[in-house]
Amino acid sequence: MVTAAPEAIFLPRERLDALLDLLREGGRTVIGPTVQDGNLVLDEIGTAADLPAGWRDEQEPGRYRLTDGHGDRVFDVVNGQLSWKRYTYPARQEVGRMERQADGSVSFAATPPDPPRLAFLGVRACELAALGIHDRVLAGGTFVDEDYRARREAALVVAVQCTRAGRGCFCTSMGTGPEVRSGHDLVLTELDEGFLVEAGTPAGERLLARVPGRKATAWEAGAATAAVATVRAEIGDPVAADGLRDRLMDKLDSPRWAEIADRCLACANCTMVCPTCFCTTTTVSSDLDGRVNTTERTWDSCFTVGFAKVAGGNFRPKREDRYRQWLTHKFATWVDQFGTYGCVGCGRCVTWCPVGIDVRAELAAIAPPASPPERAPSRPAAATPGRFDVARLIASSPETSDTTSLRLAPGDPALLAGLPGQFVMVERPGFPSLPISVSRFGTDELVLTVRAVGPATTGLIAEAPGAEIGLRGPLGRPWPIDRALGRDLVIVTGGIGLAPLRPAIDAVLADRERFGDVLLAYGARTPSDRLFRDELERWSRSGIEVAQIVDRAEAGWSGRVGVVSQLLETRDFGKRPTIAFVCGPERMMQATVGVLRDHGVPAERCWVSMERHMQCGIGLCGHCQMGPYFVCRDGPVFSVAELGELFGREGI
Amino acid sequence: MGGPTTGRRPRVGVVKLASCDGCQLTLLDLEDELLAIGERFDLVEFPEATSRRSLGPFDVLLVEGSVSTPEQVEQITELREKTRLLATIGACATAGGIQAMRNWADEPEWRASVYPSPDVIESLPTSKPVADYVTVDAELRGCPIDPHQLLELLTALRVGRRPQLPDEAVCLECKRQGRVCVLVAGATACLGPLTQTGCGALCPGYARGCYACFGPREEANVDSLSRWIGDDRPAAAVDRLFAGFTAWSAPFRPSAARAAEGFAGTKPLETAAGAAHEEHGDA
Repeated sequence: MVTAAPEAIFLPRERLDALLDLLREGGRTVIGPTVQDGNLVLDEIGTAADLPAGWRDEQEPGRYRLTDGHGDRVFDVVNGQLSWKRYTYPARQEVGRMERQADGSVSFAATPPDPPRLAFLGVRACELAALGIHDRVLAGGTFVDEDYRARREAALVVAVQCTRAGRGCFCTSMGTGPEVRSGHDLVLTELDEGFLVEAGTPAGERLLARVPGRKATAWEAGAATAAVATVRAEIGDPVAADGLRDRLMDKLDSPRWAEIADRCLACANCTMVCPTCFCTTTTVSSDLDGRVNTTERTWDSCFTVGFAKVAGGNFRPKREDRYRQWLTHKFATWVDQFGTYGCVGCGRCVTWCPVGIDVRAELAAIAPPASPPERAPSRPAAATPGRFDVARLIASSPETSDTTSLRLAPGDPALLAGLPGQFVMVERPGFPSLPISVSRFGTDELVLTVRAVGPATTGLIAEAPGAEIGLRGPLGRPWPIDRALGRDLVIVTGGIGLAPLRPAIDAVLADRERFGDVLLAYGARTPSDRLFRDELERWSRSGIEVAQIVDRAEAGWSGRVGVVSQLLETRDFGKRPTIAFVCGPERMMQATVGVLRDHGVPAERCWVSMERHMQCGIGLCGHCQMGPYFVCRDGPVFSVAELGELFGREGI
Repeated sequence: MGGPTTGRRPRVGVVKLASCDGCQLTLLDLEDELLAIGERFDLVEFPEATSRRSLGPFDVLLVEGSVSTPEQVEQITELREKTRLLATIGACATAGGIQAMRNWADEPEWRASVYPSPDVIESLPTSKPVADYVTVDAELRGCPIDPHQLLELLTALRVGRRPQLPDEAVCLECKRQGRVCVLVAGATACLGPLTQTGCGALCPGYARGCYACFGPREEANVDSLSRWIGDDRPAAAVDRLFAGFTAWSAPFRPSAARAAEGFAGTKPLETAAGAAHEEHGDA
């Protein structure tokens, strides 16, 4: 709360231009609210006359109107469609270039941040909170969005306390406003004759010392406090935020989701106007020859049909899945991931929804208040590198009719230090990035085993020896080999799923005596669809029991026919503590986990590798979200207990 | 991938059915890339640009226009057989075009009201998209198509990857550009939330409502937007919004059909396009 601190300065309205001049020092451009063609936009403020004097906003769900003629005040428009995200996290930002030379060599270059020096004028308390949230999400973890950080550091923030409330506002419920508490360099509170100006940072204090006003009187300071208090009372407490996380997560099956989907257009407007939504997509555009790539980070949305699509399916096919994803992220799983709600109560999603869907009403309908709040712990991100390395293809060898292993020599030895179950992002000029798990970490090479499912994977396995390929990693959480030490281990997988598990088998064989009994249960469509067939034999001679089964036999197959979980049905894993690693399609893993549970492996000791649409690989783009997790960063390996009811559930 | 002259250049044809030629001209609008395209693709058939003609075969065929006459049915069937990869371009080829409004009309009557000698005109009672007759490998939407999407299609063909042609709503691009919503802030009827992106949010950029020339996206909740827009408009005015360039597309068809009933008895030139333009903010 801004209190009647003695250092507050009163700036008369007619001296506002002098403040703007101060903000512009050092070549800064002042950005603030201005009315253009009848719309409120954020744009350059040349003089105080550019500010929307006398304008006010009327907001309702799905409706926004501006009216003028309301006196001299310049900050009476509470907010407009555009948020400051536009300047700190632009809708379209080049992040890198990649070039393939005539000799086949490939170079990668990250685009260095080149932030404009801006002063944001008129940032509301809710928007300060939104910037704080982005600071945590984009610049507070192991991986940092360098462009965002540079833009934030280059910007001066001049906040304004709200002296009017909008019909969409619920900052009071989200604990973000209307009082400006932190995150600002300067803060203004508008009174009839001028502005109360206070500082929030040392930089702000230096500016404040030069603001051409006089010391504010106690009456002025009191009037400012009272004006903001009136706004608080006017807004009330429209969203019962206490315990909302748990109430919402208990209602994943609410019939209300389908009802909302009947109205929802899945048009993504709520996420575009939201000041905290940070999901992006990486678009790779190339020249006609696929030689020079430009990679751009572009605002994306969990509402688009393609957002959670992977080769072969969509994890959130229905509109209600996507609405539920958005709402539960904002008000539940965001708490798990980042320690606060992902909503600041600015009301933009309410006003700018083309069909007027009001989150306040939906939250009240789906998750009415009942139980007390509980904050789930946030997990630290795994420490892994985030830059592209150029690897050279040594050789490729076919494993099955559609699957090939690529042996790659990375330039950066850090790639060889990966752990079993980790993956790399693979990039080639002309193509978008692909997440591929590492099927072997050698002493000077790593192996990727790739199944051709589309043009990008088909092209990758067709690369000739000597080709240069971009790799970023190793990424993600590995198989918990350490938990299997001294215990029995059962590895269950099918088809291509053996690839991410081979490094785990390598690790077991390197230290065989430190593990108990080890069983590999491997299923495949046909005998010739099995990967690493010569190694399967070698493993069974080296102290691993290898059990195999196929859907369809071929000539010469004398082994079992059926599904992989059948290999486990005669076992008793309950005699000694057994750890299970399972990798395959989600339905296969679900069936397997059920059989394992029935035969003595509880969910806590059963580990699975989840598939989702991964694009950045480092938990910044949002595509692979699954409940409280980003699969790329928090997984892909999870215990079934960690996943809880998310595991095997459709539409998450 | 080699340089411009590596290997055989793909043989490309550009042909038209029932259409205005605007979409194929988009290829010539790619002025900065035209030379590079010419070096990498062998344009063997493109009557708008060259007097050189070819009957195929084609590695890539860009087809503009809807199938509107018996002759065009034969033409497209033959072309398909000679073509490796067939891409339809524009609202006519992908959705049937504005001329598909006649699908609800009494075709002989319309013909008689337009042509002085209707008996010499041989046409089908319907105007339909090419995909109703032959297999289509890729489509570029729009009236006209977007030059960037055309370049992306050609680039993807040459590099050997899937073209990046997003299916999302126009709204995302509108918001990325910082355009203030014409529907929420201006009460202008806008079909952007239902419409596939790709145009660069052109109309809202000029404070006009989107009239869905790119057609419905994969998921178009027509009923919900119609209910909302219908709160302060007559139902007939809402239906007319859909009776435009992509009226025959499945999600818009029921609304367009109701609009067409309302047009019954009026002369062709007074119908769909005119009505749609009025509602979207044209004088």
